[in-house]
Amino acid sequence: MLTYIARRLLTLIPMVIVISFLIYLGLELTPGDAVSHMVPPDARSMMDEERLQALRESLGLGKPFIVRYWIWITGVMQGEFGYSLAGGVPISKIFLDRLPATLELSFAALLISTVLGSILGTISALTRGSLTDQSLTVVGMLGVSIPEFFFGLVAILVFALNLNWFPVGGRILPGYDSFWDRLPHLVMPAMVLSIMMTAGVMRYARSSMLDALSRDFIRTARSKGMPEWRVNILHGFRVALTPVIVLIGFRLPVLIGGSVIIEQVFQWPGIGKEFVSAVRSQDYPLVMMVALFSVLAVLIASLIVDLLTAIIDPRVRLGE
Amino acid sequence: MTDANATRPRTRRDAQFDKIRDREAALAGTRQHTARFMSKFLNNRLAVVGFVIFAVICLMSLFAPLIAQHDPMSPNLRVIAKPPSAEHWFGTDKTGRDVFARVLYGGRVSILVGLGSALLSAIIGVIIGVYSGYVGGWLDWIAMRISEIFMSFPQIILVLLLVAILGQSLLNLIVIFTLTGWGGIYRMARARMLSIREEEYVQALRSFGLGPARIAYKHMLPNALGPIMVNITLSTAAFILQEAGLSFLGLGVPLSIPTWGNILNAAQDLRVLEQNWWIWLPVGATISLFVLSVNFIGDGLRDATDPSQQG
Repeated sequence: MLTYIARRLLTLIPMVIVISFLIYLGLELTPGDAVSHMVPPDARSMMDEERLQALRESLGLGKPFIVRYWIWITGVMQGEFGYSLAGGVPISKIFLDRLPATLELSFAALLISTVLGSILGTISALTRGSLTDQSLTVVGMLGVSIPEFFFGLVAILVFALNLNWFPVGGRILPGYDSFWDRLPHLVMPAMVLSIMMTAGVMRYARSSMLDALSRDFIRTARSKGMPEWRVNILHGFRVALTPVIVLIGFRLPVLIGGSVIIEQVFQWPGIGKEFVSAVRSQDYPLVMMVALFSVLAVLIASLIVDLLTAIIDPRVRLGE
Repeated sequence: MTDANATRPRTRRDAQFDKIRDREAALAGTRQHTARFMSKFLNNRLAVVGFVIFAVICLMSLFAPLIAQHDPMSPNLRVIAKPPSAEHWFGTDKTGRDVFARVLYGGRVSILVGLGSALLSAIIGVIIGVYSGYVGGWLDWIAMRISEIFMSFPQIILVLLLVAILGQSLLNLIVIFTLTGWGGIYRMARARMLSIREEEYVQALRSFGLGPARIAYKHMLPNALGPIMVNITLSTAAFILQEAGLSFLGLGVPLSIPTWGNILNAAQDLRVLEQNWWIWLPVGATISLFVLSVNFIGDGLRDATDPSQQG
């Protein structure tokens, strides 16, 4: 097991280095440099080239690209994420402010879609070919076909504007910051965000359950006279769950992607909303850091998924 | 062949082979494979429904100038935000542009982006995947690492990052989608090739002295085509959803060009959302219907081409 973990970590580290290098290179390719963001155009026209050059030197922009990359990446590893171009706020502060909201939303959606998806998928598999199964399949297809933000818009129109059940958007009202005060705000974005993933988990759980039910050990269990529900739950569902866990790990990028748009629709004050406004206002340092951390999140999630499957399934860790 | 047979006595095996050969010769002209594929596809009711919806929406967008009576771009200040009427089927938006015309013309761009990016990324992914999957070696290693790098980004973060770097335009969007999309199809093509590589006919071809490119593209690729087709349809659906999402954020196709996402962009305004449902509801429904139809086609193709998915 230890060697397996070590092997996975060894492939992960070069990957992170290459990706961080590429992201930094991407920033380098964008028009303008830090000086052009710091000095307003009218002040710039008054400054002579020498002073601009001196400013560049003092910021370390004169150094070769690879040296600047090294300074940046060692800084990032020590927690110096740099400053946002909008107002000069430290990026680490933006992360601290915004991350809890995104995590709250993502975990709520993850929880809903995992539970709902695996239950519906199992029902679908157990009633295979019936009307329930067919309608669940069509509903699942609708779930992956309708854009999430369109769901969000319809939900806002129906449940917030017409029925007044939930607030239109936002996360916290000033003065009301306990969990129960926040819950009504969370319901709609979390439900909408979970739709596409629920559909995905459901389809996958269905086929993996069908696969598990056709195995020999199921027949053995049945032939022992084990009650049908016990066969399904103890043997079928448990075995079917492994691929579902893997799927959920791989769905993390989808979840992050979905939350970028959903946060915008519901004005949820998370990283995704911050990222979109950073792209809009060409706040490159912030764009870069969010991209880097989302990659880290995905890589770490896939590492955890690999380790979990290795624990559950010994064939994986022995490396075939 | 006859010389070889003449030198030794005919056995029962020879007679059996002759029979098989006759049967194959009789079937050679009937294109039975295609017929079986078509009948299976047509038997899948949802796939046929999907194909009909897909064709109708595509044709309506294609012939938009003939169907729409209004210009999608020119504002008409006398009819601002009017509900649907006989003159304007889907009403008008806040600058008096005909929403129906905009949905039709928007479909052209959205479908172009979706289908175009899917085809381009499929071409790149298949060309690299088929060759490197068969030959392996350093090319395979490099392509695999590059695709791993692309795939460790959440798709939309990578797309937005590239939008920030390259800037916003229709062409850039197709390039960005192609860049972010080829990895999936490459891996799928490669995996198919790895399993086909072990089959006997490939070894036979190699022993005939055929070059690797010829074996890979001419003889192995046709057997991997089923999953590739499925993948193209599914990525078309995904790209159309992504274009809609990006344009909804105002970061996709520039707002001056009507696309399905750009039309929906107006619904970010809560007043439009509440009072002018005709501006955003029909186009949202159109996107959903189109993506649904593409997904149905994809499912039908999968069932028709993949023997392991039967039943």
